[in-house]
Amino acid sequence: MNDQSNGVSIAVADGLTKHFKSNAITVRAVDGVSFHLPAEKMIALRGPSGCGKSTLLNLMGALDRPDSGSLTIGGIDVAKLSGHEEVLYRRRKVGFVFQMFNLVPQLSAIENVMLPMELNGGGADSALRARSAALLRRVDLASDREDRTPSKLSGGEQQRVAIARALANDAPLILADEPTANLDSKTGALIVQLLRSLCNEARTVVIATHDDTIAREANMVLEMRDGKLVTTLQASPA
Amino acid sequence: MAVFTVSVGLTLIMITVNQAFAKRLDDIKGQAGTTITVRPAGTFGGGFFGGGGGGGASDPGTAGGTTGGGTSTGDAAQTTTPSLTTSDVTKLLAIPSVAGASSQITVRYSGTDLTPAQPQNSGTQGQGSGGTGGQGRGFRRGILITGTDNPAGLTTVGTQDVQITSGRTFTADEANQNVAVMGQALAQQNNLSAGGTFPLQGATFQLVGTFTTGTQFGDNSIFIPLQSAQTLFQRPDSIDSAVVQATSVDQVNPVADSIRTTLGANNVDVTTELSTFQRISAPLSDAKNSSRIGMIVALAASAAVILFSIGLVARQRIKEIGILKAVGASGWHVTGQFAIETAVISIFAALIGALATYPLAQTVANGLVSQPARTTGRGAAFAGGRAAQGFFGGTGSGLLGNVGVAVSPDIFVYALGIAICLAVIATVVPAWYVGRVKPAAVLRHE
Repeated sequence: MNDQSNGVSIAVADGLTKHFKSNAITVRAVDGVSFHLPAEKMIALRGPSGCGKSTLLNLMGALDRPDSGSLTIGGIDVAKLSGHEEVLYRRRKVGFVFQMFNLVPQLSAIENVMLPMELNGGGADSALRARSAALLRRVDLASDREDRTPSKLSGGEQQRVAIARALANDAPLILADEPTANLDSKTGALIVQLLRSLCNEARTVVIATHDDTIAREANMVLEMRDGKLVTTLQASPA
Repeated sequence: MAVFTVSVGLTLIMITVNQAFAKRLDDIKGQAGTTITVRPAGTFGGGFFGGGGGGGASDPGTAGGTTGGGTSTGDAAQTTTPSLTTSDVTKLLAIPSVAGASSQITVRYSGTDLTPAQPQNSGTQGQGSGGTGGQGRGFRRGILITGTDNPAGLTTVGTQDVQITSGRTFTADEANQNVAVMGQALAQQNNLSAGGTFPLQGATFQLVGTFTTGTQFGDNSIFIPLQSAQTLFQRPDSIDSAVVQATSVDQVNPVADSIRTTLGANNVDVTTELSTFQRISAPLSDAKNSSRIGMIVALAASAAVILFSIGLVARQRIKEIGILKAVGASGWHVTGQFAIETAVISIFAALIGALATYPLAQTVANGLVSQPARTTGRGAAFAGGRAAQGFFGGTGSGLLGNVGVAVSPDIFVYALGIAICLAVIATVVPAWYVGRVKPAAVLRHE
């Protein structure tokens, strides 16, 4: 992504649409959304539940495909990705952080972080383990938690592991879907700070949230209602 | 894992049992042989001891017909029975799937040139039903003289293989020569040994070898070249029976049918050992068919269980699939993981199933053939003598005996094959399923 410098858009959407059929009713989850997102910033997607924030993130992460419109991220036409290109995009260009953490339950914390690197053909196991350990330290996970499975970690610890996993392949775009929704406010604030700090490492962070506290931390806020982008607020630079 | 083990074990057991039955039937077929005997119509069962009609001056007559077939009797060659000709044999050789055919004439010799191995009876059966010219001086056991063009496969009464005990058998090059192979007991009775000569019907024969059949009856016989016999007994171009070899056991019945068609069903009696043994082995065939059905059902059930299990597991792990795809796993990454996991489980299940086959296969086989088949009627009569000789490995507990299910180490090869098949299934099914999983749809509802 050679357009990640400040002042350049990392993501450009034009007339992006995604509809779902539910009991013969068409739900317009994303309905003609257009935007330009600046690189290396923290961007908040704000709106009530069901307004289309998660769907928009899924489209940006190539976890879903739009029905129409265009979506270019880092010069890649995400809307047209398929097959191996789509897999490589997910693997290398984006890191996803989920509300429910979505760690692989059978794997330890460090193995969860190693997983994307292994999928990417990362190299020797010892090297992957060392890098994973470094990432876990980067997100402030205590070293004695590394070998624990997710069920033996707190919610905040699991979210830190999930963020470390999202950073595993040096993805320039981090997509976080309600990352603090299942955390207490103190832990949530720490996670937000952690995500905020990633922007200082040449990464762009897009957070879907309905939490005004998070929105206040963002450089840019996109307000969504009923699948439409109703307001775009440019906050002060970080 | 338990379901896999039961499915695989059941399949392996049915495979083993089916193989055991198949082997048993093959053994029976193999023992029955590919031999087809062709005789002129009506001569079967009326031959050696009675069918020949009037004997010569020295023929004391014969006892009533019992076994044997198509033979003539007499001091000299005398026969009133219909016979085959060498041209008939030529026709037989032209039939597809005929590997070869040999011809023979059989004469019961009761002349004085040789003394039968067994002492003469002094009974009063002088006039046998088949003899008309006997002197009534008592039963004189005849000597069976067989002229054959198959010196390498000498048998007496078509069933008892001979073993050369001294000298050799004659050769094809000696077809027109007066050479003979004689039963050991008969040779001893007449103070003959290999290399010696003896008179027969006015000719002098050289004894080139002696043999034994293990029975007094069989050892009281002589083999000479077919052409020599035809000349000696004045039966040019005539043969009493032809022994046809089919190319395989499976071809015996088709060849027998072709022979009847070629020579005329009303002209010849065509008998095969196979047909008799097939009747005897019918219960075993039924059991084999049952085990085959069981094997197919077990395989189908295994496949269904495995497909269902894998499908269920895949659905249960749909979130994991979604996560893996979301962090960059390709469909084949996920499928490969399923395949490896299923392969490991399958191998363990197959191993345990294979081990379970050892104690259980015999039990299942016994259940399918709860009572070893026993022969009745003609079959028993036919097979009885052979069973006594260990024809079927004779245990005396029935013609078919117990079907011993010997579980060979090959079962582990089959187990490995099944495990590989399961792994393949475990690749195909998840591949199809994983390809349809959309991470967004799976993770949206978490």
